[in-house]
Amino acid sequence: MKITLGCLYPDIMSTYGDRGNVATIRRRCEWRGIAVDLRELRLGDRTEPDDLDLIIIGSGGESQQRLVAADLNEVKGSGIREAVRQGAAALAVGSGFELFGQYSRSGEGAKLPGVGLFDAWTIGHRAILSDQYGSLTEARADRAMGDLVVRWQDRLLVGFENHAGRTYLGPTATPLGRVVSGVGNSGDGTEGVQLGNAVGTHLRGPCLPRNPALADFLIAAALRRRYGDVDLPELADDVELAAREVAMQRARMASRARRGRVILRRPARRVGPADVPTGGS
Amino acid sequence: MHSVASARRAFAVSMGKVVRDGSRRLGKGNGSAVPGAVALAIDPGMLASLASEIPHGAVLVTGSNGKGTTCRLLAGVMRAAGLHPILNREGSNQLSGLATTMVASSGRFGHLPADDRAIGLFEVDEGSFPGIVGQIGRPRALVFTNVFRDQLDRYMEPAYMTSMLERAMQELPADTTLVLNADDPRVAYLAPDMENPRLYFGIQDTGLARDGTDPTSDFPRCPRCGSELAYRCVFYAHLGHWSCHHCGLARPQPQVRLTKIELLGSASSRVQVATPAAEMLLEVPLPGLYNAYNAAAAIAAATACELHNRAFLAIQRVRPSSLRMERIKVGNHDVYLTLAKNANGYTEVLRAVLGDGRPRRIMLGLNDFEGKQPDTSWIWDVDFESVCGLIPSPVVTGNRAYDLTVRLKYAGWLGATKETTLTTEPDPVRAFQRALARTPSGEPLWLVSTSIVLQEVRRWLRQQGFVREVWREQEQLAGTVQQ
Repeated sequence: MKITLGCLYPDIMSTYGDRGNVATIRRRCEWRGIAVDLRELRLGDRTEPDDLDLIIIGSGGESQQRLVAADLNEVKGSGIREAVRQGAAALAVGSGFELFGQYSRSGEGAKLPGVGLFDAWTIGHRAILSDQYGSLTEARADRAMGDLVVRWQDRLLVGFENHAGRTYLGPTATPLGRVVSGVGNSGDGTEGVQLGNAVGTHLRGPCLPRNPALADFLIAAALRRRYGDVDLPELADDVELAAREVAMQRARMASRARRGRVILRRPARRVGPADVPTGGS
Repeated sequence: MHSVASARRAFAVSMGKVVRDGSRRLGKGNGSAVPGAVALAIDPGMLASLASEIPHGAVLVTGSNGKGTTCRLLAGVMRAAGLHPILNREGSNQLSGLATTMVASSGRFGHLPADDRAIGLFEVDEGSFPGIVGQIGRPRALVFTNVFRDQLDRYMEPAYMTSMLERAMQELPADTTLVLNADDPRVAYLAPDMENPRLYFGIQDTGLARDGTDPTSDFPRCPRCGSELAYRCVFYAHLGHWSCHHCGLARPQPQVRLTKIELLGSASSRVQVATPAAEMLLEVPLPGLYNAYNAAAAIAAATACELHNRAFLAIQRVRPSSLRMERIKVGNHDVYLTLAKNANGYTEVLRAVLGDGRPRRIMLGLNDFEGKQPDTSWIWDVDFESVCGLIPSPVVTGNRAYDLTVRLKYAGWLGATKETTLTTEPDPVRAFQRALARTPSGEPLWLVSTSIVLQEVRRWLRQQGFVREVWREQEQLAGTVQQ
């Protein structure tokens, strides 16, 4: 079996360790004997909807977003929408996720048109590069930053969020999941978008290594397009889950601190889903 | 009015000294930021007025990586040239850290001792640069080592960083020499409108260029027109011989050039340096290309300060500083503590230690900063792939040890060879004891990690009597100079 993986702008939109998402898909396929044909799609390269089984776009800063926005619309957009319509899987993370929506506007800054795959839009408070912040401290204070825990189907996803924009969902969009801890889309309790096999999310860290279930969801969806339903052999994910546990513990401590409770003792119990406090924003 | 100001400064300095002595007596060791913060709270102008008393002005060193080592090398050159550098303790590179340095250097009445050979040499955190640059009267030179993606949660993206630095640089007087890395397009084209003298340093020897591009790089776009840059060669990350085919901007020809570099294993390198005044062969007592760059930066800064080129040879005698390939004898093992705090730093340290392809014992660490810098995504930009299988039985430690273990798993380290049994132990001291126990007698052990892990191991080693406290060591170093 083989999947074709289209990696968008690997040289530009790969600011937050996004290579880790591609590495995770490749290894988890390799360990199961599934071949991966990696296509790096740069500025000017077209996306052929019939070819791609899985599309991944990572995150970049504001200057990088500006750089790829026009290319996404004029060169790649229709191919991406068509591929997903045909059942291809997709993962869009951070500012890549924002660009897969209707538009992304940074405060008083320019409005960047998105691909329009997701019925969502992102509005930043102030543009980072536009000298409107007096200091780094001020610029940081405007961001949603920290561990993010999300309930997705019957599981918890963990990651790190770091975004100045707030993402709002239109009536036809389905959130990826509910925020358990952190901010997520806009503080309304939702996080990300899921459209068929396409996932948009603020979860970084990078996203897939500590969330093997999400990685396998994308691999299974990518395979389904060519081979129908495939039972993926289980892998030993003990270190991935141990890293996930650490992130959940940290999120729990951060939530407690936010709620004004001083933590005087070490968390002794194991963190299970029921232990993680609810209510993000 | 004048006497009120000077009384206030004297009070600020003496309070700073009281805090400093107190924290030492309590065994807190460093207290490196607090005394300065106290003094600044009493007299916000104390740093600026004390700095203006330094007869030879000051050199500021900033950038993502290599600031501390560049300062260390440059301090050696300055001493050999007969100057008495006043330098801040490594890592104490924010406003209060600099203020502490001035508190420590001045007398009880809030003045620097009369010393016509004193020169300031300040390592400046790039995020704190805007708040510091205006306080340092008469900066002779501003050294920019490089700009990498570093601590994205703290410093934001490089484009934001460079635009903030450029705005702050406008405060520099017109005669401050800008000492810039020609091979880093983000640095070489900083503040193009400023008419200050510019002195570039860079590597000419293309023999050490990497084949193709570096997988760990985030290639910047052209700093002038935003187009894709073309590289004739890449030394590491985005450092190399670059040009823009679109607008014609290209790497400037450096005045201080490394014309030949020979890497001598995991300990040092031999470099041929050409400056406008001289050409010489130097042995840099630190490994790796990144330290060759640090030596070039130090020599360029010394050139900007018009120090005699004979003094450059002092670089050969500089000892690695604490946590930068610091060597500690533990039993019959040499233990090297090596700080690696971002993707490029980590990659270059591993390449320096494992560059000759021989297996070595290494303990790898990763910690976040107790919630302050929680983003560890940069480990996915470290080139762990190319050194896969070269570290027998690695031990992984730190409060993010499992994140690092996952990274190594996806780099192919688990089951890379039959002998590879990777151990994950978040507690740094326990991890170190294990790593040491499985290192064969007489063989060295490297600790490569972010800072907290190294500090914890170092503290433990100190308790066991293997190392001295950093400040005692530095004080002794400063003492030998003043004699």
